[in-house]
Amino acid sequence: MEPIASHENWRNCFSAVAPGLLLFARQWVQSAADAEDIVQDAFVKFWRRNHDIDNRALLYSAVRSLALDFIRRDARRARREATVLAETEPAIEPHFELEDDTQAALAAAVESLPGDQREVLVLKIWNDLTFSEIAGALGISQNTAASRYRYALANLKKTLQPQ
Amino acid sequence: MNDFSDLEKELRKLRPAHPSPMLFERVGEALKDSKAAVSGASSKRWRFTETPYRNWWSLGFGLAAAAVLILFAVVTMERRQEHQQTVAQNSAAPETRLVPLRTERSRSPSKFLPAGGTNLVYNTRDEGLHFANGSERPVRRVRYHTQQTWRWRNPETGASLRVSYPSEEIVLIPVSGQ
Repeated sequence: MEPIASHENWRNCFSAVAPGLLLFARQWVQSAADAEDIVQDAFVKFWRRNHDIDNRALLYSAVRSLALDFIRRDARRARREATVLAETEPAIEPHFELEDDTQAALAAAVESLPGDQREVLVLKIWNDLTFSEIAGALGISQNTAASRYRYALANLKKTLQPQ
Repeated sequence: MNDFSDLEKELRKLRPAHPSPMLFERVGEALKDSKAAVSGASSKRWRFTETPYRNWWSLGFGLAAAAVLILFAVVTMERRQEHQQTVAQNSAAPETRLVPLRTERSRSPSKFLPAGGTNLVYNTRDEGLHFANGSERPVRRVRYHTQQTWRWRNPETGASLRVSYPSEEIVLIPVSGQ
């Protein structure tokens, strides 16, 4: 019976991972509100069983699984959102807190990456997962995770090179 | 060695959008509702408080099922035993004999009282004459295979307990010369 300590513990853990988790969830759902719903469900389920975030691969795997379930469950809505998003500025619900045009260009380049490369990049750069953890979260080999990461960086470099 | 170190550095400068404050409240409410907001340090304690609760239920159901099975087995065994006694008493086979009942005080602290026992000999083998321990007089060695059964009964509840096991006895019968 340590409600205060427990409360603070989950809050500290969640504060540490929430931005990265949200960014990860938004690889599949464009709406920030939907991403928050997914992150909430995944974190609550995960915390009930683990009470720590040592096994981060499992946490990110749960987010990914719920996001994919969300897409399957709400395909019509996802299509509608995709159509709307295609017609609107992506800056309405930005994935990043942008400080200048350079960062905006970088963020746009990240969002233009193929999905399999982008999710590895997001897990590596903004969630500090190792390739082993990424492999566990995505159900791929470490070599595949590492090569996708290198492809992502190469694509970004190519995109950002001045013409 | 890493051609992308500068790019990685720039990427890390990008900060992901922060979640809304409402998300923290919702997560807190969800954890409070499920009574699972226990600290990571006390995760084992949480398991020790939750798991025994489920285990007590499992244990209760298990014991109840075991009690029903035991009662069923006791009733079935009693009927079978009565049938076997009848067969043994009526059998003309020389190797089958019914040994008189023996009672034995139960060491169990429960209220079960000894209700008797049977020693059913289902096989007898004459192994011939032997000289036991340097004795000058021969003895006939007879080996009995038996099934011993002991019964206890609780006079208050009427419940009974039966233990049955196979055993082997070797009897040395002195042979007197003519």
